[in-house]
Amino acid sequence: MTVSTDLKPDLKPDTALVVTGPPQWAGDLTLREPPGPDATLLEMDRQGNTIAYSGKVEYGQGIRTGFSLAIADELDVPLASVALILGDTSLVPYDRGTTGSVSTKEVGIQLRRAAAAARRALVGLAARRWELNAESLSTREGQVFAAGDPGKKVSYAELLQGQQLQLAIPEDIAVKDPRDYVLMGRDSTRTDAYARVTGQARYSQDIVVDGMLHGKVLRPPSYGARLQSIDTSGAEREPGFVMVVQEGDFVGVLCDREDAAEGALGAMRARWQEEPDLPADTDLPRLLKEKARQTVILREDGAPDAGFAQADQVLEGRYFVPYIYNAPMETSAAVAFWDDGKLTVWSGDRSPFGVRDELAQAFGISQDRVRVIAPEIGGSFGTKATNGVAGEAARLSRLANRPVRVAYSRAEEFMWGTVRPAALIEIRSGFQSDGKIVAWEAIAYHTGDRPNRGQRGADTPYNTSNVRIAVADSESPLKAGSYRSLGCAANHFAREVHIDEIAAALGLDPVDLRLRNLSHQRLRRVLERTADRFGWSSPPPESAGGRGVAIGYDAGSYVAECVELTVARRGVRLHRVVAGVDCGMVVHPEGVRNQTEGGIIMGMGTALREAVEFDAGRLLNPAFSRYRVPRIADAPEIEVVLAGDSATPSTGAGEPGMVPIAAAISNAVYAATGTRVRSLPIVPQLS
Amino acid sequence: MQLLVNGKSYEVDVDEETTLLSVLRHDLGLTGTKYGCGDGDCGACTVLIDGEAKQSCLMPVDSAAGLEVTTIEGLANGDILHPVQEAFIEHTAFQCAYCTPGFIMSTVGLLSRNPNPDDRQIRAALTGNICRCGAYVRILRAARAAAEKLAQPGGNQ
Repeated sequence: MTVSTDLKPDLKPDTALVVTGPPQWAGDLTLREPPGPDATLLEMDRQGNTIAYSGKVEYGQGIRTGFSLAIADELDVPLASVALILGDTSLVPYDRGTTGSVSTKEVGIQLRRAAAAARRALVGLAARRWELNAESLSTREGQVFAAGDPGKKVSYAELLQGQQLQLAIPEDIAVKDPRDYVLMGRDSTRTDAYARVTGQARYSQDIVVDGMLHGKVLRPPSYGARLQSIDTSGAEREPGFVMVVQEGDFVGVLCDREDAAEGALGAMRARWQEEPDLPADTDLPRLLKEKARQTVILREDGAPDAGFAQADQVLEGRYFVPYIYNAPMETSAAVAFWDDGKLTVWSGDRSPFGVRDELAQAFGISQDRVRVIAPEIGGSFGTKATNGVAGEAARLSRLANRPVRVAYSRAEEFMWGTVRPAALIEIRSGFQSDGKIVAWEAIAYHTGDRPNRGQRGADTPYNTSNVRIAVADSESPLKAGSYRSLGCAANHFAREVHIDEIAAALGLDPVDLRLRNLSHQRLRRVLERTADRFGWSSPPPESAGGRGVAIGYDAGSYVAECVELTVARRGVRLHRVVAGVDCGMVVHPEGVRNQTEGGIIMGMGTALREAVEFDAGRLLNPAFSRYRVPRIADAPEIEVVLAGDSATPSTGAGEPGMVPIAAAISNAVYAATGTRVRSLPIVPQLS
Repeated sequence: MQLLVNGKSYEVDVDEETTLLSVLRHDLGLTGTKYGCGDGDCGACTVLIDGEAKQSCLMPVDSAAGLEVTTIEGLANGDILHPVQEAFIEHTAFQCAYCTPGFIMSTVGLLSRNPNPDDRQIRAALTGNICRCGAYVRILRAARAAAEKLAQPGGNQ
């Protein structure tokens, strides 16, 4: 499929109503960055169709559907009349990237406010037309109705004839009361479903531009290796060869098709100077502590020493999670072209504005001369941020003066995409014989470039008056990046296994022990509802397996998971998971369930089998045949319980499902076998 | 060489070692079939060859010459979706959906040789397809629902 290379947005000629406002809701004071200048958030045309704009991207989480449902509901229009433009830096408001499960919380609410403002304006038009009080009018299915006169109605399209309105979101705009929801809180078919089952959905891998060449970039055989010499003559003999481009260490080959480019790259002869003495994965737990840099105290409450002195028992544990490959199914891909000093790039990145700024800086041009468009993205889970193929495609395109596509092979995605940081967490707890935890000390070492890589979820939600929580960043031998529930899943694995150890040490039920130490109402509720649904207090008499529980928090949401599994010679078989999630008001229940299930499957992989193996700067398992991600044969039965209430503002749903699952599985393995597993992955340690 | 894809005949002029996946995507513009690994490990490139689900990333194009190739683009009957496609929509059996064409083709292949598979057979047939988003429980549901749809009178197109 060939895409238009027109730089100008296709603005609809008959736009009748424009709503502007800050891209994110300024009323949410938890925003980490200012929301940016006012921008167009929503437009309606004279046929009554709506287009909304957001810098978020769709990488599978269903945000296009969530936003569409919320806008259609607030506007009282049919769902099919709402379209969204996502992740195109020339068309949408600034956004810092689709990360941290905040799209619904920060942008969804703002789009709802924009839609509510548009609805108010339309009601105002009808009120003037009929000379009636706006309060006496109602809206439904794209029409305004007058109270007490069923025949008196007018469509939005009719109201917008001849209009040219622009308004900012009024300060006092109110969104709908949950009791008035028509679409939100109910299951709908995803708005992108048809395209996704027919092969029409266009991913970054699928972008084709007229005259485009396919580029491959020479990669070092190991991390840190430097190019000594290169003989590119072999490439030139390959069929389909067009040119070799070289700028210092950066060597690329351009061909008329992708497989030709792979062949040409393989026909080059390069000599490399490799970095000596690079570590192996087996050095990791030790390295994390040795290579620790800055330590940050997150919380210090009470007097830990005194707390330990009054404890009946003290328990210490060290917990380790290895590096994990993100391994999205779509490998990174980008197409770039230059036209009159302006750069356009289609790139499957979760941060189009971050990529835009990176490219502007790299090529020394202003940001408004760079347009980055994120098409459908075939998974991210934290990778595909910046510093990837977009810059390479742009560089090759400039050197070749032709549109250029660069796509990672699977092996490149494994090696040059980012991985989830490894982490070592040390916990020391003191508790009384009734289960009350009186002292808690934890330090978490996470590989990464800044201490806050490991902050998420490091704090304990349990009531303990003597607490000291610290996190440290450790030098990373691999290219660590973000991951679903970055840091948080690792911290929860450590804490929730440790809590299970306390319960075991005291012979207390793990759900009961947690409740004895929890006063957080939402966490208590989600745990109680999950345990109840699972049937925790009434285990099946003939069960040969083990049951485990863990709870957690992330992205403003609360989660609990109970699992049942059996351990056999060939591994761990996870049979059943019940997950309770409280993410406040749920816009799209199927969306939350789907995301929660996905987090559980992904977290099951991290728990049971996944670990990046490496030595001397090389990856040892960069292929799906050697790196076992969960497959359908491994999938347990999963039930998701939506445990929040609609009066509470929406919070994140993409990541919480992942947070407690590894601990719940490890705790169930202990229940089944008596073996306590404090390092992941579990399966290699059982054999 | 002559290639028969989705009922249409194409003349393609490529090296015979070129993979079927490359020809479908590059030469025929049928980008619904996806590259996932190029090693036959993930199933994203699954198509039907004479009705049987096969991974196209390792298959030299000449081995498909003269056979009937069906891709995700050729599954629907005009505007009428195949029951497997319908079932994937009804159960939202996807997230990013990059793997979806492969899963759908594998499911169609399974149901054509075994119209009434049990849970174990579905899992075995689809375990060569990876969904990293983890929509597996939905895919299992969709596969079962598709089998039921196909068993109904008129269910088989």
